[in-house]
Amino acid sequence: MKRLAGTALVAAALLALPLATQSDFVLTILVFAFLQGMLAVSFNLVFGYAGQLSMFHAAAFGIAAYATHLFGKHLGVGYWGGVVLAAALVAAISVVVGAICFRFRLREFYFAVVTLAFSEMARLTVLNWNSMTNGSLGINLQERPIDGTLAWYYVALGALAITLVVCWRLVHSWMGRAFVAIRLNDELGDTLGINVFRYKLVAFTAGSIMAAFAGSLYAYFLGSLEPGLLSIDTSLGIIAMVLLGGRRAVAAPVLGALVLTALPHLIHFSAEIRSLVYGAILIFSILVMPQGIYGAAAQLIRRHA
Amino acid sequence: MTQLIAGQLLNGAIVGTLYGIVALGVTLTFGITGIVNFALGVFMMLGAYAAWYFADTVGLPYPLAVLAAVGVTAAAGLAADQALFRFTRNNLVNGLLVSLGLIAVLEACALLVFTATPKEMHRVLPGIVMLGGLVLPKMKLVVFALLLTVIFATYAALTRTWTGRAAYAYAQNPEAAALMGVATARLQSGVVVYSCGLAGLGGALYAALYSLEPTLGSLFILKAVEAAILAGIGSVTGALLGGVILGVTEGVGSIYLPLAFRDAYGLVFLVLILLFKPAGLFAGRR
Amino acid sequence: MTRHMVAVLGAAALGVSFAAQAQDVVKIGQIEAQTGTLATYGWMGYQGARLAIDEINRAGGFKVGAKTYKLELVSQDTRGNPQEALIQIKGLLEQQRVKYVFGPFLTNVFNGIEPYATQNNGKFLMMGGATAIHAMLGKPNHEYLIRTWNWDAGASGFGQLMVDYLKQQGAKKTAMLFQNDAFGKVAVDIYSPIFQKAGIELQIELFEPGTKDYSAPLAKLAAGKPEFLFPGYTDAVLYDIVRQATETGLFKRFFLVRGSMGPGLKNKDLIDDYIAYLPKYFEEAEKKEPKVKAFVAAYKQFYKTNEFPYDQAPLCSSSCYDHVYMLVEAMKKAGTVDDVAKVKQALLSENYHGLWNLRYDASGEAVFDFDVLHMRKGGAITATRVTPH
Repeated sequence: MKRLAGTALVAAALLALPLATQSDFVLTILVFAFLQGMLAVSFNLVFGYAGQLSMFHAAAFGIAAYATHLFGKHLGVGYWGGVVLAAALVAAISVVVGAICFRFRLREFYFAVVTLAFSEMARLTVLNWNSMTNGSLGINLQERPIDGTLAWYYVALGALAITLVVCWRLVHSWMGRAFVAIRLNDELGDTLGINVFRYKLVAFTAGSIMAAFAGSLYAYFLGSLEPGLLSIDTSLGIIAMVLLGGRRAVAAPVLGALVLTALPHLIHFSAEIRSLVYGAILIFSILVMPQGIYGAAAQLIRRHA
Repeated sequence: MTQLIAGQLLNGAIVGTLYGIVALGVTLTFGITGIVNFALGVFMMLGAYAAWYFADTVGLPYPLAVLAAVGVTAAAGLAADQALFRFTRNNLVNGLLVSLGLIAVLEACALLVFTATPKEMHRVLPGIVMLGGLVLPKMKLVVFALLLTVIFATYAALTRTWTGRAAYAYAQNPEAAALMGVATARLQSGVVVYSCGLAGLGGALYAALYSLEPTLGSLFILKAVEAAILAGIGSVTGALLGGVILGVTEGVGSIYLPLAFRDAYGLVFLVLILLFKPAGLFAGRR
Repeated sequence: MTRHMVAVLGAAALGVSFAAQAQDVVKIGQIEAQTGTLATYGWMGYQGARLAIDEINRAGGFKVGAKTYKLELVSQDTRGNPQEALIQIKGLLEQQRVKYVFGPFLTNVFNGIEPYATQNNGKFLMMGGATAIHAMLGKPNHEYLIRTWNWDAGASGFGQLMVDYLKQQGAKKTAMLFQNDAFGKVAVDIYSPIFQKAGIELQIELFEPGTKDYSAPLAKLAAGKPEFLFPGYTDAVLYDIVRQATETGLFKRFFLVRGSMGPGLKNKDLIDDYIAYLPKYFEEAEKKEPKVKAFVAAYKQFYKTNEFPYDQAPLCSSSCYDHVYMLVEAMKKAGTVDDVAKVKQALLSENYHGLWNLRYDASGEAVFDFDVLHMRKGGAITATRVTPH
């Protein structure tokens, strides 16, 4: 009950925020934070809950961004049609990649390496398929399916909310319990009759689809496409957000996304310091604070409750 | 055309030994500490910058600069081991994440200290060698010979010395080795330090051939991991072979196929190997 | 009593008017990558603009109409990231109310901020060097855009003039080795027709960014027996390409439209000809041109250093020192600091003589005089000044 009240309060505050500040600057930061939050939360479904370190997330994000534009342009389906088709494409690719990996019983680390390889191959394809993607020059997106930062704010907030709800339902269903079992010990899960292969595939595909939606929205908010969307740096950023925010609660990664998106504009980092901070977050989180901000805060509250 | 191919075979083999020395570090680290140390790429970068600094700024003769660079890298490896890797033994995912973090930190430091402006060492051994119709810089041959020597020396050490055989035994069966008196913790730290030293050597030699920038490690580590996986754990010569195969494939492949896809070949190889020689490729470890 | 009061009131009035004058500030925004791996392009712009603004302010500012104005630099570090840049430009336009923005140099950054900038067309001017800006000049709703780097092609293009010089050296076949990235693609599109028109055969190879060992593409290209190698375009790759090409004896003559003389000088004993485009050869210009000499001295004094960045200084031909002064002249000529349309008109009609002889063509793209550097075996460099039409 307390948690529901808390969530409602936060939701109300976020919905009402544009009334308090008309600043395009602030709203833009928040839109980016929400979209990055979608990426982080969906990644956490695969990594935090199902225990699979997927380096394919950035690729799903980037492929969907490009696909939305290309489907819209070449098939004449418009933006929203493009979004749906892009998500379908990413789902198909994820099923293939996931099936290959899980069928061959690749454990977490090798899964990470192979998804990294697929991700790099996707990036190289986007980079070199000049006729379709304009290669490294990128594409300027002319369409404005959603006009104005205020509209984008509510769309992004809504998309994040939907992502959170979907992940929450998944995690709290029998599927979610299977995920946890797989994360803890997938060989044991096998002997208990859990179809490990199928659940890993479901988690991976579901996560990738949500990343795809994030990609479609992000690219059109930014107004341009570039192959850098699929780079390892994007993957690293997602991992950093999740580790910073926390892995054990569905909404925890959003904290990480908020901090990492907004912080560079409150404190002025040079690029080198920013990389240093990201690296330090990774190291620090693994060694000292594996629960992330959310977990640490929850621990504190519990201790003083 | 045949001359072109022959030239690329030779060049590919040489570039392959650079991949191989880092791959050797990867494979040793995996066998003894149970993680894949992606950070070996930045240790190579450290070694390269250290060698450049000692040779060009401090003015040491090149061989001394190389030794000093190896020393610096090994020391850095020890520090990283005690502070970070010691806590991620046998935890592949954490090891990966910590390595990624270390890479970001060290590359940022290098960027701050040296900036992105490329650095080039003075020409240590100018001049070329003619092999039939092929032209090869002398320094490349020297690097080739040196790396081969070190790799085979490592092999000899692993099979002949007590420490080496202890390491081998440990990789096969850690509990039994510990019971037989192998100092586990020291062995593990020792291997990490040695691997970083190897990467540092690779970097120091790299510095004599190519220009330096802070991100030079990231390209090499991916290739090194591909080479290590290609060959298999516990196989010192395998690491070398893997590196050479990779180097040659890239070089010869570039003649026929678009250069722009060069990096993709290695990736496809990697995926295929991981799929068809399944996790059992790294036999002996979980 | 009354006299005292009058004195006080008089002083107060004077004080108020002084304060009002001191508050007349024109903010100049800057949006460049100052740090990170792509910082080469933005760093010099930052250094030069800061120096110019300091000089102008110390001289008492500048007068437009009856008012005296000072300048204030509001500089943002994009780190080469379009997401950061978009947030920063919103801050610049919305919160800082900046009307004049220098930058960006990076194409991916420009692509990220272009939609927002276009929405605000008419409210500000953006003067940047990005390649992607070229395609946007003259498009509807893009009047805010000015490009401060020259273009290789076109009537006033420097590429044409460079190839003319190359032809005089007797080139019949040239091998082009460029990165497979943003500028690489554009370069191929620009130079293929120029070389064709000049009657020089061009053989093209593109390599993956991050390549270090060029033995394969160099061998492939050398098989065609060209006279010149045309490699591009950043120093990072040039050092390796030139070294590997010369140490194996595959190439002895080089032609460049980007990059510094560094790679050539490092291999000077193995090179017969090293021809490079450089906005200005500062080492020599410092001795021959008084304005350049003054600039170098002012730079050293302002930044309290004995070292002048000779390798970076040529990049000051874009969104840098001269451009601040040029903007001020334009504001004076237009008689306004707020009406950006009038200021742009004044800018486009100006012929500015500073470190460079700068002007903008009708579309808003910079044209300036540049140097063709020719290094011969042993390292002797001759610089030929070329003025485009």
